[in-house]
Formats: sequence, structure tokens, C-alpha cells
Amino acid sequence: MGLIARALEMAGIATTLTTWNAGRTRVTRPPRAVYTRLARGATLGRPHDVAQQRRVLEATLALLAEEAPVKPVIMREQWEDA
Amino acid sequence: MDVLENRDAWQAEYERTWLAHYRATGETKWDIYNRPDNKETPSGPAVDLAASRLMLISSAGGYLPPLQRPFDAANDLGDYTIRTFPHTTDPGALAFAHDHYDHAAVNEDQQVLLPLGHLHDLVREDVIGELAPSVVSFMGYQPDAARVVDETIPAILALATAERADAALLVPS
Repeated sequence: MGLIARALEMAGIATTLTTWNAGRTRVTRPPRAVYTRLARGATLGRPHDVAQQRRVLEATLALLAEEAPVKPVIMREQWEDA
Repeated sequence: MDVLENRDAWQAEYERTWLAHYRATGETKWDIYNRPDNKETPSGPAVDLAASRLMLISSAGGYLPPLQRPFDAANDLGDYTIRTFPHTTDPGALAFAHDHYDHAAVNEDQQVLLPLGHLHDLVREDVIGELAPSVVSFMGYQPDAARVVDETIPAILALATAERADAALLVPS
């Protein structure tokens, strides 16, 4: 996804992404990114946890209001209850 | 700036190591895989999301049976094609072809990977201007980064341009 984000941004389409897999994504250097401690197969949050899904989604979309490149945002959202 | 920096060197290393091992043994050996590693980050202007058209791009392998063929999820060399479906698609109409994540969560609640309900709410709340007509979907198991650059990205870029997307939300699986 990092490569796709780069290509779109370079073509004039602003991009933002979120992933639980910071290690693999960070090195591709996407323009805007939110990194969480969620799980493979549940990138935006736990099933039916509307509040968590909205928190992750809104934080990710909020980065579009900033000029890229943006320092990656680390969210404490995680799969297991804290 | 390049989408994949040092592409020729990356591709040569990929073919010499991971791909050669796969062809010799049939094994996908990730400790010898050279992950794409860029040094520079693209720049771009901020956008006013409330006045923008947003496109959702998902690598969860979603597709619309029986109208669309599933992704080639069992192919160890990946699938670089895309599918598209309207953002108004009934969640029950979608299936997922992707062998590299547990589907339990997405089968229980598609919003964990395809947040179309939340995005529709955010349009109603005037946070997002509107959604691009199509959702872009692909199967995120794609070990050949050069093929992503040559095949997947041009297809996505063409659609995003045709649908006049101002911004894109990318949700990997």
C-alpha cells in the first residue's frame, strides 16, 4: 500500500493510510500514515467496536488536512483490551 | 522521485534470491525477501476533506461474485489485478479472496477492513465531501514490487483520475 500511496500523491491525489504493520509499511515511505497495534485482518479495529473503528478512521483521515510528508502517527489502539 | 527507488537493483535482487529459491524449491522463503525500502517521502498539499471526493482503496481481496472472478489467492507469485465495485454495494454481496489473513473478523463485520458504513456516515456529517463512485479492491499478496508499479498502480491511477478523486484512503488487510 505504501507504494500505491506514493504513486497517487505524486500524481496529485492526496493519500492517507492506516495499518497494524508499521514495520513493513514505514520503510516504503508513504506520505501520510497512522500506525496501530491492531491485527492482521482487522486494520480499523475489532468487529462491531464502532467507537474504535471511528477513532482509527478519523485519525487517519485527519492527516489529509496536513501537507505531506507528515510525521507518522502512532495510535495506541490495539486488538486486545488494554 | 520514484515510486520504487532503485527499482532495477530491487528487481535483480528479488529475482536472484526469493524468486530463484521459489522456482527451485516451491518454497516462499521470507527471510531472504528484499522488502521495498525507499529513502525519500513524496510531498503533497493538504486537502479540505469536507470539499473533496475521497476514494477507498482496499487490499482485502474483496470482489463481487458471480459478476467478477475471484483473485488468484492461491498463487504464490501474487495477483496484480484490481476489481472495482460501487461504494453503495450491499456488504452481503461481497466475497473475499485472499489467503494471507484470517477472515473471521471481516466475515463478522466488514467495517474492520471496508469501512463503507463509516464513510457514508462521515459524508452525512459533512466531514467528507463525497465518495468516489468506485471502491478499488485488490489482493494484497504481491511479492513482486515491480509488477505492482507496472500493473496495479497504473490501473488504480487511471480509475482515480477518471473518477476525479481528490484524495484516497488506503486500507491494507
